[in-house]
Amino acid sequence: MPVVAAVACPHTPQLLIRPDTEDRELVLRVHAAYATVKRLLTEARADVICIIAGDHVEGFFLNAVPAFAVYAGATISGKFGRYDYTLPVHEPLARAILQQGIEREFDLTYSQDLRLDYAFYVPLHFTMPEPRVPIVPLYVNVYLPPQPTPRRCYAWGRALREILDARPERIALMASGGMSHYPGTDRYASPDFEWDRQMLDALKAGRGADTARLTGEELDKAGNVELRTWITLLGAVGDARAEVLCYEPSWHHGNAMVMWPVATR
Amino acid sequence: MNEHYFFPPASAYPLNRCLFMLKSDPGFCARYSADRESAMEELALDGDARAALRSFERDRLIALGAHPYLVFMAGLRLKMESQPTSFEYF
Repeated sequence: MPVVAAVACPHTPQLLIRPDTEDRELVLRVHAAYATVKRLLTEARADVICIIAGDHVEGFFLNAVPAFAVYAGATISGKFGRYDYTLPVHEPLARAILQQGIEREFDLTYSQDLRLDYAFYVPLHFTMPEPRVPIVPLYVNVYLPPQPTPRRCYAWGRALREILDARPERIALMASGGMSHYPGTDRYASPDFEWDRQMLDALKAGRGADTARLTGEELDKAGNVELRTWITLLGAVGDARAEVLCYEPSWHHGNAMVMWPVATR
Repeated sequence: MNEHYFFPPASAYPLNRCLFMLKSDPGFCARYSADRESAMEELALDGDARAALRSFERDRLIALGAHPYLVFMAGLRLKMESQPTSFEYF
């Protein structure tokens, strides 16, 4: 079966825990876009969601910092505030991605014992179809330099698509992260919305391959270190033209939700 | 060179470990909130790191090699611990 859906979603924790620092109407508009993604995943009859996200120094601390990793356990659990979650993992697909990724010379790390970061949980909290489906958590290092280059992320996404296209499951691909934000720095309150808009215009024009030529320094400067998760997904969707479901710039974050038409490929 | 997120220097490992535990270990975060000095005793923190943690000034922590994201999320978790009513307000 082909990949049946491809989406990118934000995961900023404020969307979940709704602190008094946030604009209520903006958060609710992002929630509405999540509902659109949930409908899309339901209508696509996805059997499994492969979710590509960066770990916020949660599953992996400085004991080990893999550039790319696959979680291959039976379930995965995590906690954020009062949210305490356990999700089933599609182990056969996780093992196939790991095995075939290694055979394609991507030196993947794997684990069967990680705490699931909110970067994975937040979009799934809002978009998980009913009845729920298992996931495969795919990790890309975004916050701990040296991170993988955009070119390598794109190449891994291309290889991932080849692996997924040969599988029997109906697979939804989700990239979690972005757009511009600078948590913990003096730029936190001034994201680069102009950079985001130009990037979204390029993606709407089907120029996803251009992202492989970005540099790590450029992503860091634009507050878009997490775009590596999108670039990995773009390697899988190629030149498909993005449809922007929402772009909501908050005081600290460019909340973007995007889908790519892939079912006909 | 990255402008915002840099390689965490080994000298800052105890400080980053403390921030990581504040972020990800609810038991430690609760102990720290109740008795910061005793909680800091659990980790091999030097005097500069302890002073920076007491102030919790972002720039001071980052100057010692703290990872900016860890500073951000440790601070948010401490706020979630001390001011739970300022969350889920809508």
